[in-house]
Amino acid sequence: MDSVIFRKSPIQNQIPMENFTNETIDTTQLPRFEEVPFAPLHPNYWKLTLIHLFVLFLILAAGLGFGIVFNNELIPYQWNLIVAAAVLMLLVLMFSRIAFRKKGFAFRNHDVLFRSGIIATNTIVIPYNRVQHVALHEGFISRYLGLAKIEIFTAGGSSSDIEIPGIEKIQAENIKQLLMGKIQKQL
Amino acid sequence: MKVDFSQPQRQSPIGVLIMFFDTIQQYGRALWPLVVIGIFKFDAANRLYIFLSIPLIFIVIGIIAYLKYLNFTFFLDNKNDEFVVTEGVFNKTRTTIQLQKIQQVNIKQSLLQRIIGVHALDVDTAGTNDKEVSIKAVSHELALDLKSVLLNNIRKVSENQTSETENPEIQAAISEQPFISISFLSLLKVGITSNYIRSLGLLLAFFVTTYDYAVRFSNHGIIDEDQFVNYFDKGFVMRFVGILIVLLLAAILIINVFRTIIKFFNYQIAKQSGSLLLSFGLFATKSTIIKPEKVQIISVTQNYFQKKFDILELKIKQATNGEKEARKQAIEIPGCNKNEHIAILKLLFGEMPEKGFMLKPNFRKLGFAVFLTIVVPLVVFYSVALNGAPNLLEYHYGVAVYVVFMGIIQYFSFRNNRLFINDRFIIKQSGAWDISNEIIEPHRIQAITTSQLFWHKSLNIGSITLHTAGGNVGFQLGNFEKIRNYANLWLYEMETSDSNWM
Repeated sequence: MDSVIFRKSPIQNQIPMENFTNETIDTTQLPRFEEVPFAPLHPNYWKLTLIHLFVLFLILAAGLGFGIVFNNELIPYQWNLIVAAAVLMLLVLMFSRIAFRKKGFAFRNHDVLFRSGIIATNTIVIPYNRVQHVALHEGFISRYLGLAKIEIFTAGGSSSDIEIPGIEKIQAENIKQLLMGKIQKQL
Repeated sequence: MKVDFSQPQRQSPIGVLIMFFDTIQQYGRALWPLVVIGIFKFDAANRLYIFLSIPLIFIVIGIIAYLKYLNFTFFLDNKNDEFVVTEGVFNKTRTTIQLQKIQQVNIKQSLLQRIIGVHALDVDTAGTNDKEVSIKAVSHELALDLKSVLLNNIRKVSENQTSETENPEIQAAISEQPFISISFLSLLKVGITSNYIRSLGLLLAFFVTTYDYAVRFSNHGIIDEDQFVNYFDKGFVMRFVGILIVLLLAAILIINVFRTIIKFFNYQIAKQSGSLLLSFGLFATKSTIIKPEKVQIISVTQNYFQKKFDILELKIKQATNGEKEARKQAIEIPGCNKNEHIAILKLLFGEMPEKGFMLKPNFRKLGFAVFLTIVVPLVVFYSVALNGAPNLLEYHYGVAVYVVFMGIIQYFSFRNNRLFINDRFIIKQSGAWDISNEIIEPHRIQAITTSQLFWHKSLNIGSITLHTAGGNVGFQLGNFEKIRNYANLWLYEMETSDSNWM
């Protein structure tokens, strides 16, 4: 395997002296990320989640059905199993709904925020000048619902990347353009 | 003939073959258990069906590969200086990379690609482990053209200097002007005082396997258990075990010392135009360069004995591009004393980092740690012991030792867990015995995650994770109000300055 490596030198930014000021920052006056209103995901994303869950439940139910029909030992417990499966499905449905409601995103002048989590509320903030690249992802079903997913990558590894699902296709395109514009301005 | 990259390009048509084998590999990995079951479980008639369906499967994969080939396009958006790659048959992904962000473009050829006569081209930006974009089958000319377009101001780097390599040039430079050299005595001290946890693990593993053997022997009737116990009287056994432990500890210490000396013998550090040059190793001398602008996290580790000996260990994590192994690896400087460590930190940070405002974790952190490491294992142990394995109950004293030992460890790691913040540095202190201080500068942060459990809202406690290109630094269950204030301040600093994080 032959491989040739080329690398660009990092671009050094220098702030001109005459524009340079260094006043004390009043930290109480800083914009607060926790007060930003978050935009919810598109209602169609809930439909998408339901479709995914429906397929999952269908497989689960089919498995259970086959189990009961072909394995005689399970027949005495069939109602227990069915009730357990129903409760499980309800719980999954409930948690999916909570997860959907909790997910939200916001674009500020200088950074992008994404909030998620069922038990814990996680908020991740990426400044535009730390964004490495952006990808737009359209799933097979989500395309029919007019949805797309935006993935924002930083140099901090996979735990510091943002994935915003359930954005309208046109809006996603706009957001991507906005992001690319912001990244460019930073350099 | 120059290719116009501003128009969407496909790969070489022969690349369908590469796609074909890729797809087979991909599905094969996911479906091989089914195939194995199919071969062994079904009777002859069903096997016939399976063999008949194989050509069908290949045709389907062929169609998928062709669709993949059709849908994979790449082009240069000259207006926005972007490289855009579109891929996917059902699930479509469009990846956009700013040309300025591209760090590396590698042209590669695997055996299969060599046979077919195509090349792969990988585009890499900083940070993330994976290559961002991989074009699997293009002709060599096209690959070269594309590379030169992607990197308009190319500078050839002969080898990756962030990883540890054998490099005579660096060694020569170091011998000219040594800055710090770590003595044999310091290495001895390091060997004696570090890696206790690992040694303990080895010790435990040894005992568990020995005991296992003894039990197996007795079960095979080679040694009768009662006879075995009677043969050695209790005092003798105790003395024997004591001697064994002492011998093992000695052996482990010696192994530690040898390992340290072999790895770090003749550790030399030199300064050259603001960078640190390192060289070390007994059999193979390794060299590496640390550039201050690439440094992301420095952790300083010291335990009680090392404090008495005046030695500490530095671990330096740099931003690397691409190479997975290099990313995980931190550069270690073992056994430097206080003044040397100050000199190194001053060189890399410009000043000696000082501990500023202190954030303490809430006592619930200790509670949670105790729950995870003591309560849960005890519940599991006793529920197993009471439901069918009553002979486990004889090990009460072992349980007590475990509880006390774990309790002490958790208490000290809670007491040492602190986050110190001042204008230029964030220092996270952690550890029970080996106390480490991870130092980062706010402008190295890539992204900030804050997290709060819903029942902690009224208690005003929560967690923060600072993501850097050299790894994450996290602090759990501190005063959430303070944490958010600092997050806002760091975001402000990151967003108003254009300082380079690498």
